This record gives sequence, structure tokens and C-alpha cells, in this order.
Amino acid sequence: MSLSREAYRELAAVVGEQYISEDDFILAGNRAQTPEIPFAHPSPDAILLPGSVEEVAEIVKICNKYGIEYIGNVTGCIPTAYCTRENSIILHFKRMNKILEINAEDRYAVIEPGVRHVQLYPEVRKLGLSYTAAAVGPGGSVLVNFCATGGDHHCQYGTSRPTRYLLGVEMVLPNGEILRTGSLQTDSGWFCPESPGPSLRSIVKGYSGNSGKLGIITKCAVALDRCKGPAEFRAEGLSPHHKIYMDSDCSSVYVFNYKSIQDVCDAITKLGEAETCATVQKYFYLPLTLMMTESANEFWEKWPEYKKIFPMPLVVHIATHSAREREYEEKILFDVVEETHGTRIPREIERWWEEHMDYFMIVARLQSVLRLGGSWLPIKTGAESLQHMCDVYDQTQTFIHDYTNAGKIFDAPANYQIIPMEYGHFASSELLFMWDRKDPQSFRYMAEFSQRSKEEDLKNHAYVMAPYGFGKAVQEQGALYSHCTDWLARVKDALDPNYTLDI
Amino acid sequence: MSDLKKHQYTMESCNHCGQCKWILPARMIGWDFAEICPIHMRYSYDAYSGQGMLNMAREVSEGKLSCSEGMMKLAHACTACGACDINCKNVKDMEVLEVIYELRAECAEQGFVPEPVKRTAENVKQTHNIYGLPHADRFAWLPADYEDDPGADTILFVGCSAYRYPETALAAIRILKAGGVRFRLLGEEEWCCGGSLWRSGLHEEAGELIRRNMEVFRAQGVKTVITACAECFGNFRGIYPRFEETEISFRHITEVADELISQGRLTLKGADAPMKVTYHDPCMLGRLSEKYVPWEGEIRSYGLHVPEKKFNRGEFGVYEPPRRILDAIPGIDRTEMIRYKEETFCCGAPSRETDPELARFTRDERLREAEASGAEAIVSCCPFCRDALSGGPVRYLDLTELIAEHI
Repeated sequence: MSLSREAYRELAAVVGEQYISEDDFILAGNRAQTPEIPFAHPSPDAILLPGSVEEVAEIVKICNKYGIEYIGNVTGCIPTAYCTRENSIILHFKRMNKILEINAEDRYAVIEPGVRHVQLYPEVRKLGLSYTAAAVGPGGSVLVNFCATGGDHHCQYGTSRPTRYLLGVEMVLPNGEILRTGSLQTDSGWFCPESPGPSLRSIVKGYSGNSGKLGIITKCAVALDRCKGPAEFRAEGLSPHHKIYMDSDCSSVYVFNYKSIQDVCDAITKLGEAETCATVQKYFYLPLTLMMTESANEFWEKWPEYKKIFPMPLVVHIATHSAREREYEEKILFDVVEETHGTRIPREIERWWEEHMDYFMIVARLQSVLRLGGSWLPIKTGAESLQHMCDVYDQTQTFIHDYTNAGKIFDAPANYQIIPMEYGHFASSELLFMWDRKDPQSFRYMAEFSQRSKEEDLKNHAYVMAPYGFGKAVQEQGALYSHCTDWLARVKDALDPNYTLDI
Repeated sequence: MSDLKKHQYTMESCNHCGQCKWILPARMIGWDFAEICPIHMRYSYDAYSGQGMLNMAREVSEGKLSCSEGMMKLAHACTACGACDINCKNVKDMEVLEVIYELRAECAEQGFVPEPVKRTAENVKQTHNIYGLPHADRFAWLPADYEDDPGADTILFVGCSAYRYPETALAAIRILKAGGVRFRLLGEEEWCCGGSLWRSGLHEEAGELIRRNMEVFRAQGVKTVITACAECFGNFRGIYPRFEETEISFRHITEVADELISQGRLTLKGADAPMKVTYHDPCMLGRLSEKYVPWEGEIRSYGLHVPEKKFNRGEFGVYEPPRRILDAIPGIDRTEMIRYKEETFCCGAPSRETDPELARFTRDERLREAEASGAEAIVSCCPFCRDALSGGPVRYLDLTELIAEHI
């Protein structure tokens, strides 16, 4: 399909001919099949590069007028960033990529949707601030991190999950109206997500943003945290062997191995009670090995050994303002590790972590998982109590071997990470499984395992991953899933009855 | 025939993480100068990026998309600077730049070749240089008293750029003579290196020329080829091995000068006045100068390459010799730009004729970065970077000439 000439002319008049394209080779850039999706996305009819909120509002009104579906896109790294139906257009936000304000005193940054981590993160570090970033990498969208990600990846143990850091928001509703939420709506600035009246924050972002799709966010404020560590990183070496050095007086990294998930859980809890350590994480051993190796071949050399060395690694980063403070935190750490039966892993492995800290750098390297050529499908992404997350891990072990032993998925049954936040108040978890893309049955196995996992979760009252979109997935999950989704569906029906904003 | 299908694995592996467009985290410094891909920075559409061209190439190879005039323009607007490739390979085993090369070749096969590329190919065919100037004039700049060392098994390959910048070739000669390096010139036997034809998708034309040049090297007993042209150097190292294996050592003049300085065979005097400079890494001397190692094999389950494949990840380009040389000149204070070494930002020269507006945009961006570094001059050692970066707000200096001036 293609846009009607009338619709095209009107859209082009808004953004200018330079910023709209119907060329097939341009569209190809945004309709590709990614390794984790077994089907190609429908092609957009056009891609537009709006430059302002006013332009976005005009585009939305034109889409309503002609019944054109639209969807916003920044990175395109998540499957929901693509068209799901014919007769759609993509609004790509590369041009709207300014950092509008960083307020160090009130600790927030105001950004446009096209800003990437690699642009914002170093700017806030210069001011002694940080934020928690989900695992995408330097090119990942900051906006998506805070309002549309289903995952977590903490950069500081004391912080919360990214979606809780969304403050004032400016968005274009499906009818083209511009909405400003939180303190912004009363001209009180960007600092607060709430204001008199009902909270609109959850409605705006849904549970994980892409469940909401109630508008196009054109500006938003995100909360920042104070952080200990250098304002700028000292990098040495060349890609792919960059090393990042922190002041060794005020920074140290330890990796421990555990035999039981309950011991891990206890260690994380005790460290949280002491409100100590910059980051604490039960990491997954497959990505850990991949990140420490240069190629898939090197991974295959090291994996047999590494999977024995650290089947259940706990990675701890201590960052402090002084050497004395570091020594104090290390003392607590070693006491806790001793009490919880942890053991240090070989120094060579710890050194790698030391040379790649901070956590933002580690997150950025997580894309190396795709070296295995299959793909990745994190499941059980969600956040509940720390103990519950550890129980979910245990429960996974009751059925995952059926699949790993049969060679249907990669043989790494303990490939599970637990990301504690708010000093152990709660945690996010992620089971990462890989499948062999060379195997024609791989997508079937992937679907089969995902379904089995979901069924087991429902049976065992474990948390179920947030669904993309509405409908069947929510019905299947029933009472286990937050009923906010039902409310979102109703709001969506009211605000966007024709579903012109793609879900 | 283009080899697009050989890269199916790469084309199917992109998950749109965006790392091909943005500086690597280890080098991130802030909002400004965070972009690494000139075409994406200029045109903003995802299609204008490594990621976009992978997607496009995949559809072409699967017969879902046809080559077109527009696709050809896009593929040749890309400067093929390799930043996307190196960034992607920071974490993955993918060959992004190879796919871009093959997309160009596929376009060429289907008859889509930009006019400037056709012109260059015709020039090379008729006159053995990219400018279409008389072959007889290739060494017209050589002083009458110049003497070859006829017994030398090392040659100085001056490249087509000697037509435009004979002073660089003369400087290279001065350096080698001063350092006591035995060398000779190929004279009328020296033809264009041919690499740019290959990189433009004209594989057959390039192949003929490359094989011919290798035959000349062999016939003349050449063991070492030294060049002051980054483009020739990158092509010798990165393109020639695609056609035949060779024991010939290809060296850039800065590698040789650096060695001569470290051996005490060349001493550099101080600058006339203190000067703050920044060094611009030419793509073809830096990240794209690693030796290409052909690979034929099978990619098995979970990415296992059998036999093992050597990936050029940009780590072993020529980065340190030019910097050490600058540091060896008393009075020169060297500073770095934000995007440097394997993360260098292209000068824009490769798209100068295929997309002049993009070339200007790219050059302006690079010069803005040089200015922001506080440098009075930007130093480099590639004739095409020189074309692009000269005449801007920051003075351009050629490193080969700078060395010769300070002997």
C-alpha cells in the first residue's frame, strides 16, 4: 500500500519534503526482521522525521483524518517499535534529540525522544549524577529506557527501576492534542510526575510503556541519582579491548560464586540492609562469558571451563568517596560473603570486571550475547520481592532441563540474573535463553519453551512477563497480571478508538 | 558477481542496537561529537547507516527489493569509512562494511554506477590514474638529480595523489634518503593501486588492475612497498589479499619514519614556534588498514566459525606511529579530538563527488571537532583527507611534509 497523494502532500507540508520518504529502500531500513522475531514486519508506507511537538501534533491529526496508523521509533531495538498493520507510517525521532536541561540541584534532565544514552549519560556524570539504564547499549533511547522498557539493569543498588524515574511529560495524544503531565501542567517545572488530580503517569507509560501506547512523548523529564565515582572515565586501549579505569582508592570489584540461590538472596539482602555497595547483582553466566571473550569461537573455547567456575556469580562493585569508606564497605562485604558461603572466583575474571566498570559500560557490552548467532529472549522480566525472584529461579530449574537436555535451547539452565534495587526492597529478574538459529525448528522450540515457562509461572504464582499489547495475553494471565492493563485498555479505547497509534 | 549471499549471517544478525551509529561507551564524552556515522548524522533516516544498509542488502539478496538509482546514491553517499563496522565488531561477529561493499557491487552489476565512479574507472583504464592525467606525467615532479637505488627490493609507491601533491612524494623521498633506506621508484610501471575501484563495487575492473600490479611487484623482485598515501596503504593491506596471497610487506611512511626515529637514524629538529596540533586518523591508515585474511568456511550452530575466522576489529591499524612522530618534534603540543584512533570521524572525502553536500557537512563536522580540541592545526597523512580538510578554520598540515621539514 501507499499513502494517498492527498495525505502525502499534507504530511510533507508539515515536515518538509526532506523529512518524509516513501522510497522503498528507505523504508527497508525500518521494516527488517530482527533475529528474535520469526516474521517480517509490515512495511511502513512512509517514514517521517518530525522536528517539533507541533509537527508531531499535526501529523497525528492528519493520520486521524486519513485513517493512517502511526508509530514512534527511536532505536528500533524492541520488536514493538515496528508497524503491525498495513497503511502505517513511522515517526522517527532522530531530529528531536536535544538535551533541553540538566538540573543538578533538583536532579532531573529534560530530554527530547531522540536522545541516546551515549549522549546523556556522560553529561550527567560530569555533574556527579547517574541514572539506571536497561540493557541496550550506547545507542539505546533514553526515553524508551524510562517509559517503555520491560527490563531493568541497575547502575546503583540503591536506585529503583527506570520506569519509576519518569517525571513531567509532554505528549501528543491520539487526537493530536498536546498533553503536559505532572508539575508541568501547572507551569511548575519538570520535577514532579504527579500534580493535583489523578496520576497520569501510569496511563502515559502503561506498565512498560509499550503496553500503553497512548500518545507520542515529545519531551520528558527523568529523575537522576547522585553517584559515587569519577565525573569522566579514563579509557585506555582500542576496541574491542577498551579498558576503563576508576580510582582504585575509591573503587573495587569482586565476583563471588555461590552454590545455592538462597545464599545469593541472603547475601544481597544483608548487603542491602547495610545500605552498602554501589552495585550488587546475581549475573547470568552465559553473557558473562560472552562479554569476556572476543568472538563466538573464543567463547566456545572458554565456556566449558567458565560455566564450571561461575555457575552462579554475584558481582559486586564498591564505589566510595574515600579509601577509608571503601575499606569499610569491603569489610562488610567479606563478612556477608563468609556468612552466606560465597567464594571468590579466579582473579583473572575479577580483573576483567575491574577494567570494564562502571555498570553502564557493562550494560553496553551485553549486546555481545548475539555473537552466538541465535538470538535472545529474556523472559520473566519483571520486578517483585527479592525472595520471590529467587523462588522463581528455583522453580525454573524444575522444567528448563527438559529443553536444554533435548538441545532445544542453549545448554545454560542457570542463565538467570537477579537485579536487586532499592537496597533489596525488590528485584527484577531475567531468564535469558538462546536458541540455535541454524536449526529450522528453533522458533518452534522458542515458542514452546516460552509457553511452558508461562504456564509454570501461572501454576506457581510467579510473576508473568508484561505482554506487548492487549487482548489475549492479558486474558490468559488473568488475575496474576496487574489489572492496570485493563484500565489502560479502556483508556486506550476512549482516547484512540480507531487505534491509529499502533500498539 | 557480488558476494552478498556470503554475508547472509551478518545480514540476519542485526538487532538494531544502534551501536553502528554512536561512539563506543569507552570514548563517550557528552552530547556533542557522539555520532560516528556521517550519513546517519546528515540524513537521519535509519536507512542511512550500517544497520539500514544491512537491512536493504538483505532484502536485495532475498529478491524482495531491487537495486535502484536511489539505493545506489545512498550506498555511494556512504563514505565507507568503516566506523559502523568497527563499532559493531566491538561486541559482535558481523561484517557490516563487507555488506556495504557488496551492496555497491550488486548495484554495479545491475547497472547502477554513479557517474563520478564511472569517470574514475575510465580514467584509470585510459591513463592509469584516477584523475585522467597523462601517465607520462606521473613522475614529472621528480627532480633531475634524483637517483634510484637500482638494487633495492623496497619501492616507494607514490600513488595517483602525487599528481596533486608532489610535495608529499618529495617529502617521502627526503625522509627515506635521510634515514638511509635503500629504495627505488617504479617509474612508468607504477599504475593506480585500484583499491578505490574495488571499494566502489567495480570488482572486476579492480581485480584486473590489482593482479597486474602484483605481477609488476613480483617481476621486479619487490619485497617491501612503502607509500605515503593512506588510501593506497589501506588498499594494499585490506583489498589486495582478496586477489592473491603475498609475502610483500606494505608499509606506510609514518611507520617507517617512526622506526627510523626510534633507531636514531632520523632526528627531528624543533618547530619554529610552539604549536598545538591534533592528529586526524585517516580511516584507511587506521581502522581499515588491517590485513584482510580471506575466509571460506561454515558458520555452525551458535556462531561457531569453522575454520576460525579472523575478524578485523580495527585494533591493529596504524595509530601510534604518527602520534609518536608528532611527539618527537620539540615545540609541537599534541591534543586529541573526541573521536580518534579506531573511532575517528571520517573527513568526508570519499563522497566528495558522489554527494558533495554530504562531503561538506562531514568535513565541517570534523573541523568543528578539531577546533573544539583547541588545536591550531589538524595534521594528517592522506591526500584525500587533505583535499577535504584544507582551507578550513583550522590549518591543515601534512604529516609526511612536516617530518621532512623538521629533518
